[in-house]
Amino acid sequence: MISSVQLLPLFFLLLSTPAWALDLAELVRSVETQYSGESSYSRVRMEIRTEHWQRSLEMEGWSLGRDYFLTRILAPDKDRGVSTLKAQQDVWNYLPKVDRVMKIPASMMGGSWMGSHITNDDLVKGSRVDLDYELRLLEESKKHYLIECLPRPEAVVVWGKVLYRIKKPDLLPESISYFDEEMTEVRRILFDDVQPVGARMIPMRLTVLPLEKPQEQTIMRYEKIDYGAELTRDFFSLRTLQKRP
Amino acid sequence: MLASLALRNLGRNRRRTLLTLCATVVSCSLLILALGIFSGMLADILDSTTGQYHGHLVVSSPQYPERRSLYDSFEEDLKTQEALLRHPGITGLSPRLRAFGLLSFTRAALPVELLGIRPQREASVTRLGQQLVRGSRLDSAGGAQPEVLIGEGLASRLGATVGDELAFMTQAADGSIGNDLLRIRGIFSTGDRNRDNQLALVPLDWLRELLVLPDALHELALRVDDPMEAPAIRQRLEGQLADADTSLAILDWGQLLPTMREAIANFDVSRMILIIILYSATGLGILNTFFMSVIERTREIGILLAMGMTPARVRRMILLEALFLGLISLVLGTLIGIALTAWMHQVGIDLSDWITPVTYAGGTIAPRLHATFETANILMPALILLGVCLLAGYFPARRASKLQPALAIREDA
Amino acid sequence: MIHLENVSKIYRTGNREVAALLDFSLDVARGEFSVLAGPSGSGKTTVLNLIGCLDQSTRGRIEVAGMDVSRRTVTQLASFRLAHIGFIFQSYNLIPVLSAQENAEFTLMLRGVPKAKRQARIQELFERLGIAGLENRKPGDLSGGQQQRVAIARAMAAKPNLILADEPTANLDSKTSEDLLELMRELNEEQQITFLFSSHDPMIIGCARRVIELKDGHLASDSKDSAA
Repeated sequence: MISSVQLLPLFFLLLSTPAWALDLAELVRSVETQYSGESSYSRVRMEIRTEHWQRSLEMEGWSLGRDYFLTRILAPDKDRGVSTLKAQQDVWNYLPKVDRVMKIPASMMGGSWMGSHITNDDLVKGSRVDLDYELRLLEESKKHYLIECLPRPEAVVVWGKVLYRIKKPDLLPESISYFDEEMTEVRRILFDDVQPVGARMIPMRLTVLPLEKPQEQTIMRYEKIDYGAELTRDFFSLRTLQKRP
Repeated sequence: MLASLALRNLGRNRRRTLLTLCATVVSCSLLILALGIFSGMLADILDSTTGQYHGHLVVSSPQYPERRSLYDSFEEDLKTQEALLRHPGITGLSPRLRAFGLLSFTRAALPVELLGIRPQREASVTRLGQQLVRGSRLDSAGGAQPEVLIGEGLASRLGATVGDELAFMTQAADGSIGNDLLRIRGIFSTGDRNRDNQLALVPLDWLRELLVLPDALHELALRVDDPMEAPAIRQRLEGQLADADTSLAILDWGQLLPTMREAIANFDVSRMILIIILYSATGLGILNTFFMSVIERTREIGILLAMGMTPARVRRMILLEALFLGLISLVLGTLIGIALTAWMHQVGIDLSDWITPVTYAGGTIAPRLHATFETANILMPALILLGVCLLAGYFPARRASKLQPALAIREDA
Repeated sequence: MIHLENVSKIYRTGNREVAALLDFSLDVARGEFSVLAGPSGSGKTTVLNLIGCLDQSTRGRIEVAGMDVSRRTVTQLASFRLAHIGFIFQSYNLIPVLSAQENAEFTLMLRGVPKAKRQARIQELFERLGIAGLENRKPGDLSGGQQQRVAIARAMAAKPNLILADEPTANLDSKTSEDLLELMRELNEEQQITFLFSSHDPMIIGCARRVIELKDGHLASDSKDSAA
């Protein structure tokens, strides 16, 4: 069963003569936007395990393209209603208990998002990898493409290197490795549990492993993704953010 | 006999002796005053960080000072606190809990350090929360609404003032998103811009609840009588803590503030340099005086030698003159120096009209001249002055002892 | 008491050598009252300095009170002077910061004589020298004659074997000179102290038992020889 999406790279491959002239940017972009698509609604269970505690959050989220994203915690009750809005480069949190919106300052963008191993920066910059990094096909085997992303000189980035490991032939991500400036791998994201969602195949489980703390991890399990949601930019406003569920 | 002869010789050219004495007394007393002011400055700098934030000793989990991790806390144990307070030299103890998070008013949120304290206990260690520019102090009882004291810089960056409600958000110890509203009760100014820009003081119990850390503390800040004794007290306490098997570590201010410790350790060197510079000039003056006096007395020294005084005794006589000059200078110089230091200690000179506070080695130099007493500041100038006098007397004394009696007697008086 | 054998003293000024004394020999017996006479520059003071161990000879042998003093350390010489020799100078050379008493007892103090003994001795000498009552005066408050009497007391205090007096009367009037000279003669006779003067004062020369005349660093004449 081969979908047209999966055939798309092949199509490019035929157009551009050299075999390695695969559109790497498109490939990376497709990984980074696989959960948002044009616009989407999703429900996610986030399981966080740290050295000190373990918890499970239920969240719903809306996204529009790669620039707009809004998520809201449904459970547990203590954090119910805590919401995050990402619009362009900015991130806001809404705290229902105190009924306040808090814009995350630039100096705190490296901080954890909702206690997970995902940072605020990930929310903002993850979707920009193809823009901020120079992409190169590092390796091609029978089963994988290995794409190396090195920061462009002018780009303000968090990582020293990002490696995308993409499975052949369906071109789905298997893992992404993040390296610091000393080129030590510090974080790895694994993708698995591939299931069909509408016309696409999507890895429904995403595991974030902070390699410096082997006993810690964050698992994002997509329970539902609906790519048909009709959303406009107006939806991704502070007003929507402050709407109590 | 030599002593009385030496004393009389000093009294001989009274004006010259007095002038020399003036030089030595003035240099000794001014040196003592200058060192006292130096020490006062360093005490101010040290106090600006220990007295306004750190305390002199900090008890915490061994990892906490470096990681400042929320989880490196320990359970509050009143017995340990009482035992610490009973320890000689310790005058105050403040239990503290610390959180880092975001504080916002209407504009963008700002990263802040929230220090949970019991106001009265904190007052026994530092002046945190007492140097208010607006509002009032934290109430130890704590009202229904949690209240906060924030730094002046933080207040202006938030655009908030006394009475405004701030939202605070952080990650609690159970992973939940700790958030609450805090009403500004007062705004403080410590003079240290970094601190005023990012420090907020809250009641300890409220912070415990927010962080889901019941009974927990991150540190015990201690105040001691004499900051210079802090390392010694730390060593004794380390043994005590080890015996109690608390797995707590203790740091003194020198370990918390290595640059400060270095600045203060460097003072020993600066003091030496100052003493050497000042006393080189004084010493040359004394040397000149004694050479003159020996040259003038060439004939007389020849007579002493002729009468059978040994060269060694002649040398001793001149050295005794130098020693007496040194002793008189020492006594007068030290007395005047102490008097000047005492005056500078009690009255001081306020320079705030001309100078703004300067940050140095992590501390703040207050815009004032204020002296503190330190034994070494008096002992060293005094003893070294004596040494300088003896050294300055040595060469003329040697010259006198080497005189040829026949030639010396023939010398015209 | 004094034995000088072929003693020379040569001063070097620049690259010129000046012989203050050349191949000079002299013997002075104990108890003598002699004078070294001659014009200034004839070597009188040099002889006195050499005998008084204030200076070292260039060549020759010097014995004083039975000791060869030519090769001794400065400290040994100082002790030797303290034990055996008293000095009287032309300009008295009292120590200005010390009282008459203190000046006179100085050598006794150097020797560590106890206070009571010192005082008794000085008392005796001052009475003998006619300056009793002036003990507490400073040299500046004394007349020349009184100062020289104190100086004689100082030279005599430790009961030396030999007193060397360099032009002792040159600064004094003739009456005082005569008195002092008389006094020294008496002391010489009473206590058998050897006196050696250097002087061209005819009064001293007339009074001396022996006149040793020097000229240009040589012995010109010795009354002892001519008497013999």
